[in-house]
Amino acid sequence: MSATPVKEAGRPATAQRAAEAPAKGPSRGSASANPPGHDRPYLASEKDLAPLGLHWVDEAERPARARELLDKMRHYRRTFQMYMDVCTHCGACAQQCHSYLGTQDPKNMPVARADLARRIYQRYFTWTGRHLPRLVGAEDLTEETIEAWYKYFYQCNECRRCAVFCPFGIDTAEITIAMREILAYLGLVPRFLTSVGSNVLRTGNNMGIPRPALLDTVQFLEEEMKEETGKDIPIPVDQEGAEVLYNPSSSDFFSNPDTLTGAAKMFYAAGISWTLSSEIIETANFGLFFSEPLLRAHSQRLIRSARRLRVQRIVAGECGHGWRTWRMFSETIHGQLEFPITHCAEEACELLRQRRIRVDPEANPQRVTYHDPCNLARAGDIIEQPREVLRQITLDFREMIPNREKSFCCGGGSGLLMDEMMEVRMQLGKAKADSVRATGAEILCAPCAICKAQLPLVMEHHHVPVQVKGLLDLLGRAIIL
Amino acid sequence: MPTIQFGDVQVEVDEDGFVQDPKQWTEDLARYLAKQEEGLDNLTEDHWKVIHYLRDYYQQFGIAPMIRKLCKDTGFDLKYIYELFPSGPAKGACKLAGLPKPTGCV
Repeated sequence: MSATPVKEAGRPATAQRAAEAPAKGPSRGSASANPPGHDRPYLASEKDLAPLGLHWVDEAERPARARELLDKMRHYRRTFQMYMDVCTHCGACAQQCHSYLGTQDPKNMPVARADLARRIYQRYFTWTGRHLPRLVGAEDLTEETIEAWYKYFYQCNECRRCAVFCPFGIDTAEITIAMREILAYLGLVPRFLTSVGSNVLRTGNNMGIPRPALLDTVQFLEEEMKEETGKDIPIPVDQEGAEVLYNPSSSDFFSNPDTLTGAAKMFYAAGISWTLSSEIIETANFGLFFSEPLLRAHSQRLIRSARRLRVQRIVAGECGHGWRTWRMFSETIHGQLEFPITHCAEEACELLRQRRIRVDPEANPQRVTYHDPCNLARAGDIIEQPREVLRQITLDFREMIPNREKSFCCGGGSGLLMDEMMEVRMQLGKAKADSVRATGAEILCAPCAICKAQLPLVMEHHHVPVQVKGLLDLLGRAIIL
Repeated sequence: MPTIQFGDVQVEVDEDGFVQDPKQWTEDLARYLAKQEEGLDNLTEDHWKVIHYLRDYYQQFGIAPMIRKLCKDTGFDLKYIYELFPSGPAKGACKLAGLPKPTGCV
């Protein structure tokens, strides 16, 4: 049979979407004239946006709408306004940003990225910007501004490393989060993020795994563990009255099964009753990356599930940003909770301290180094716990430099896992690859699902021969059952 | 959304070449995608074993199986699956089988 490909690979994302709805006529002329290649993610269509309650704003109306949204945002998030006001352009952030180091694009310096918003903020919302715009470098908001926002706020991983080095503590991640939210209300969201967001609203997890598939996978993994250990180690689902609701990453059911079986072995060895909830097998909360309403909806699902199952605590699995949302935002959203939310690294560390689990480090004889996921080390108080665990379950643990709150991002943070961004993603991962290479490690422990998806590609691309594993993967090997 | 004109039928695919409506899948379409997307001139018995396994699983469960389960049930290790489908089980095999692209932290 003959076939004629009319697939339009390589066309600018903006042009692709324009072709879908020609009647509405948002031609995005500037984008079409200047093909972006793959330096920005494919845009979601109207159909992709709909489940998230978002709509496409016509190009002609976009700058005026963006100005209104920026005005609302500066009042809604006071830190955003403060960060707009206090920057002195000292440049301390520039060399600390893996995005700038990897891409060498000056607009990826945190100060320059923030200036894409700051110049507009000054133009409309400060006295000097309104009356003497050229004096302060203030600029009118145009369609080109919005194009630049979309490109550069999606080349920031929201890793917060710049905030560690800024003398004023300006957190560009907060600026990126705010600006992506504004872009979302203009209908400008990467299709990858809307596809994940729709899955989350439909099934409670990023991959869109329905309950029957979850049960099938769980049964498969129980059989695998039986073959491996000879023991009946359960992975309970929807078990009311369990002590722990374990909230993993849905990628554990596709590409990272050893993380989930590691958790199952830990709870089994410690004699802790636990359960998954088929309503929410996902710590990841992509709402943090573009949509506060989605962030809230996913958080509500978690708390609702925990109450329905009457658990005594929630334990978050290996996910960085999701942990940030659980730990930092849960009580802001829900008020004081009747149960704690802990992290699996805290759990493992505590069980080892209490000698409720025993381990054999001989099970992990290789040289192991630890990657601090950004949202654990810079936004979630998980720094020493995984190290305390690793020192007990491995024979040769080495720190990479820099580490802890100064660790470089993997380059996939904030949901930059889309294939079309592969070239940029590899540039964003370069600083991390250099850190890992210097350790000579054979295993790179990275307890975050985004890091686990990104790092194997980065390490291969930059010729660093290392295997990427989760913390619970290594614990699962070492635990004595 | 880009389309492939395949015989008399227009098949909608996403920018990464994944068929949007799994019902439009045929063996001929799989052969065509194999050539276009994976550079494969022939699909062997082992390719078809993986493709049919993925389709059967998807029809039953509405999602792609865990990669380890795919390996175990077909008897092929991951390395061999990469030999069969150079882009791997998710981006290669699922695409040829007409499944939606696995998304999330993968």
